[in-house]
Amino acid sequence: MAWPTDIAALDGGTLLEVVYDDGVTARVSAEKLRVESPSAEVQGHGPGQKKTLTGKENVRIVGLEPIGNYAVKIVFDDGHSTGLYTWDYVRELAG
Amino acid sequence: MATREDVIKALSTVLGPDGKTPLTESDSISGVTLRDGKVFAAISIDPKRARELEPMRAKAEAAIKALPGVIGAVVTLTAQAERAAGPASAKETTPAGRASTATALPGVKHIVAVASGKGGVGKSTVACNLAVALGKLGLKVGLLDADLFGPSAPRLFGLSGRPNMAEGAEKLEPMRSEGVKVMSIGFLVEEGAPIVWRGPMVMSAITQLLREVAWAPLDVLVVDMPPGTGDTQLTMAQNVPLAGAVIVSTPQDLALIDARRGIAMFKQVHVPILGIVENMSYFVCPHCGGRTEIFAHAGARKEAEQLGVPFLGEIPLDAEIRAHSDDGKPVVASMAGSPQAEAYMEIARAVAATLETGAPGAKPAPRMRIG
Repeated sequence: MAWPTDIAALDGGTLLEVVYDDGVTARVSAEKLRVESPSAEVQGHGPGQKKTLTGKENVRIVGLEPIGNYAVKIVFDDGHSTGLYTWDYVRELAG
Repeated sequence: MATREDVIKALSTVLGPDGKTPLTESDSISGVTLRDGKVFAAISIDPKRARELEPMRAKAEAAIKALPGVIGAVVTLTAQAERAAGPASAKETTPAGRASTATALPGVKHIVAVASGKGGVGKSTVACNLAVALGKLGLKVGLLDADLFGPSAPRLFGLSGRPNMAEGAEKLEPMRSEGVKVMSIGFLVEEGAPIVWRGPMVMSAITQLLREVAWAPLDVLVVDMPPGTGDTQLTMAQNVPLAGAVIVSTPQDLALIDARRGIAMFKQVHVPILGIVENMSYFVCPHCGGRTEIFAHAGARKEAEQLGVPFLGEIPLDAEIRAHSDDGKPVVASMAGSPQAEAYMEIARAVAATLETGAPGAKPAPRMRIG
């Protein structure tokens, strides 16, 4: 599987760029990451519980923290920090 | 043929970079590799002192060459900068914003989890003897007993009493036995007192045992995990980058099914599997010498082949191992050289070699930055 070598929050924290070792670069907006956060706060605890968030156009990334070997915790400037984004999930969001 | 232990012994006769402490205790040996009678060793030093330390390098080389069975020896000096897990490099990784690549434990090179799916397969005994065996290979080793609900490290290492606060730091000093630094919740509560905790308490206790204990400097921290795939496993997998997991299983299907679950969990969080140990592999009757395969045999080896992970070795079901464990005298130390101890040494050598070269599938942590 593809493994990230570099993860960077760019453009004042509005864009996340992940470079994978297979040459692919995934770019996802902070807004998309925020509304698609894998956290239970957004996804709920089962199918059909997902919350639709609005008003996150201007959200910015203010922190990136590694989680073990498999994910990055993204801290947003609206205080949301409970989403653990696995390497594959970020790539999936990039489409 | 010279072994890794012989090389370490030879290097212990040479004084390290400070001119006082033997090389093996100076925390500067960054690698030893043996191949067909040839030995390669690396000593990490401050690059500015390379010229000054050349005599030390030459002495180390001569000491290894003098070993019987060694055809050639190459000792190199390497720059200290490579030792990424050290505290010095942790500072550099927070340039802007709150991005960092180092939630690793400062001063601890490798963290290895010893796990199983099922309880009662002898995980703690394996973890304890593996830790002592790694120490015998010349590594600085610690053992973290992460089984909060059934801590066994105090008994297995023959330790009691309470740990002290480390001088000058707000950290607990680990206890010591057989050259291993040991920390367990068992030192902090009365023996026999139950721990009745929900998940969040477990998570915070595990984090404290990792981060509020004066572990450094260590080459390997062995973590004795509780059985299953619960809060403790998840906390470990999220809190620190694990170098890998050793899976312990008995050869019977019932245990192997759970072992498979454990392996699947580690794979999910990208923790490399260092290999499977088959514990209670067979029983040799002390009266007639006949061999009985109580839990069937080679099940773990087959499982390892099927899953494409290394098979690390077999440990027999043995009264001596059991008795010495209950007495707090790990067989690797108290019966050094016995077949039982050798079985553990064999596993330790395989684990040490894999840690040095990097486990299959292990990848470096991505760089993270903001701005």
